Amino acid sequence: MRVAGPILALPFSDIDTDQIIPASHLTVVEPAGLGRFLFDGHAELLGRLADAPGARIAVALHNFGCGSSREHAVWALQQRGFQAVVAPSFSRIFLENAYNNGLAPVVLPVEHVRACLDAPHAELDFTTKSLRLPDGTTFAIELDPVRELFLESGGYLRFLYDKIPAVRAWRAA
Amino acid sequence: MSGTYFDAVWDAHVVERLPDGNDLLAIDQVVAHEITTPPAIGQIEREFGGALFDASAIVAVNDHVSPAKDAATALQAQSLRTWAKRNEIPLYDVGDNGICHVLVPERGLVSPGTTVVCGDSHTCTLGAMGALAIGVGTTVQAGAMLAGCAVFKRPQVLEIRLHGRRARRTSAKDLALAYVRALGAGGGAGFALEFTGAALADLSVDERLTLCNMAVEAGATTAVVAPDAATAAYVRERGGDGDAAARWSRVDTSGARYARLLELDVASIEPAITWGTNPAQATSIGGTVPSDAPAEALAYMGLQAGQTLDGLEIDQVFIGSCTNSRLTDLRAAAEVFRGRRVRVPTIVTPGSQRVKREAEREGLHDVFQDAGALWTHSSCGPCLGMSMGVLAPGMRCVSTSNRNFPGRMGAGGRVHLASPVVAAASAVLGHIPGAAALETLLEEAVCA
Repeated sequence: MRVAGPILALPFSDIDTDQIIPASHLTVVEPAGLGRFLFDGHAELLGRLADAPGARIAVALHNFGCGSSREHAVWALQQRGFQAVVAPSFSRIFLENAYNNGLAPVVLPVEHVRACLDAPHAELDFTTKSLRLPDGTTFAIELDPVRELFLESGGYLRFLYDKIPAVRAWRAA
Repeated sequence: MSGTYFDAVWDAHVVERLPDGNDLLAIDQVVAHEITTPPAIGQIEREFGGALFDASAIVAVNDHVSPAKDAATALQAQSLRTWAKRNEIPLYDVGDNGICHVLVPERGLVSPGTTVVCGDSHTCTLGAMGALAIGVGTTVQAGAMLAGCAVFKRPQVLEIRLHGRRARRTSAKDLALAYVRALGAGGGAGFALEFTGAALADLSVDERLTLCNMAVEAGATTAVVAPDAATAAYVRERGGDGDAAARWSRVDTSGARYARLLELDVASIEPAITWGTNPAQATSIGGTVPSDAPAEALAYMGLQAGQTLDGLEIDQVFIGSCTNSRLTDLRAAAEVFRGRRVRVPTIVTPGSQRVKREAEREGLHDVFQDAGALWTHSSCGPCLGMSMGVLAPGMRCVSTSNRNFPGRMGAGGRVHLASPVVAAASAVLGHIPGAAALETLLEEAVCA
C-alpha cells in the first residue's frame, strides 16, 4: 500500500477528537456525511485545512486524537480524503479506530515529525516501510504487526468473528 | 504477570496471545449508548446478519441527549431502542435513565473482576468497581457485541499511591486533576492506572468513580481500584454480585511490581482548577497561570502567563457530568449554595434519574433552585456541547466535567474544570474564587 499527497500541517499537541469533529455533529446513525464537519468551529485548524487543498496526510504533534472515543473523528478525516496521520504519539482509542478503518496512523520520532511539518507533501510506502519527503529525506515507518493479521482476515470484525468458536470454548472451559 | 490487581483481572480474561504484546480478551459486558452504538448495529447487521455473541451481556442506555433534542437525536435513541427490544437487551430510557457511567454502577450492573467495554472514553470510571473497563470506538464495541472479545495491547501498570489525609475542601476531583497534571495529558499512554495506598479507605465508592473517571485524560488505557469491603457493600446494596466483590477483594497484591509509581500526599493537594485547553493544565485555587504556558492555550482562554485566576469573572457554571453528578457531589455543592444566590447562569444536572430522586428526597433540589440555579433532568448535558447549555464564543464556564479542550462545550467557549465545591463557590461569587474566599464560603456553610 502506498499513500502520496500534500501534507496538512497541524503543529499542535493534544488535538482531541472534539477539535477534529465537535459533538454537535455526532447526531448520526451511520458514518456518512461527516466530512464537511471536519474541524468545524476551530478557526485555526479550518484555516490550515483551507490552505492545504487535496491534502492526504495530516501531520501533528503529541497525543493526536486524545479525548472522546468517537470513531467519527476518523470517519471525518477519511471522508475529506485523508489516508494517513503522522504524529509522535496517538491516543490509544484513536489509534485503534484509525487501524480499524484503514486510516494509517504513523508514529515517528518528534524530530522526524517536525521535518514532515515543514514539507509540502510526502510519500508513504507500507511495503518498503518508508516515508519519503520531496527533498529525498526518508524515514523508516512501522505499523503494529497485529493489524496485519486483521488485514489478512478481512478486517478487525472478520478477525474477531472467526474467533467466536475459540471464545465460546474458552468460556465453556 | 506482575502481581497487580489489574494483571489478575487481565490474565483471567486472555483467550489468546497475539503478536507484539496484544491479547485477545474475553469481554464480559458491553455498555451501549445512543451516540456511538447505532453505527455498530449497522456494521453487525450488514456484514454479519445481526447476530450478537450474548445479548444478555449488553446494557443499553439512552443518555447523551435524552430526551432527544431534535429529529436526528430522536432517530439515534430510537435506533438503540428498537435494536434493544428486538434482541431483548435491557434498556434504560427516558424517565429511568442516566449517564451510563453513573447508572451502571448505581444499578449494580457491573461486577468486580469483569471486563467491560463501551463506545465512550470515560468507561474507565467503572474501574472504581474493580472492573477492567475500557473505552473504545464504535468498531471495537461492535466486535465485543459480535464476538464477545476485543484485541488490546496490554498496558503496563502505573501505581498511583495515595497517602495522607485530605482537607475537607479537597475532593476526589482535585485528586483526579492532581494526577492528570502530574502525568500530563498523554503521560499515562500505554499504562493502566492502579490506585493504592492508605488514603483510598477514606474515599467512598462515589469518590473512587470520580477518581477513575479522568484516567483517560492522562491518556491511560483505564484505571482500577481493587475492591474492598466498601466495594462489596456498595455492590450488594444495589443487588449486584457481592460474591464477586468478595472474591476479587482477596487478590493478593502484596508482591505486586508496578512499572511506574506516582505518589500523592493527599494532605498537600489543594482544590484545583484548570486554566488551559487540556485537563492537565491545572493549578491550585488561588494559583496563577504558569509563566511558560503555551501561547495558543492562553489566546484561546483569553488569559496571560502569570495571571492569577482569583477573581476571574465567569459567565456560566455547570455542575454535572460522569465525573461529578452523583449524590455526594450534589450534597457538596448544595452546602455552598444553601442560603445563597448564584450570580451567573448555573446548571445543575444529576447523573441519573435515580440520583435526581434521591437528591430531591433530601431537599437538594430546593437548595439549588432557591439559589437560582437550574435543576435539570439527568443527561450528559452541557459537558459536551451537544444539547443544552452550550457556550457562545468567549463565554467562560466553570464546570465539574472532565474536558476543557477548545470547542468542547461550544465553539470558542472557555472551560475551567473544578470540583463541585469550587464550581458552586464560583457560581455564588460570579468569579473564580481564591483560597481565602473558598475557605470563607465553606466555613460559613458549616456554621449554617
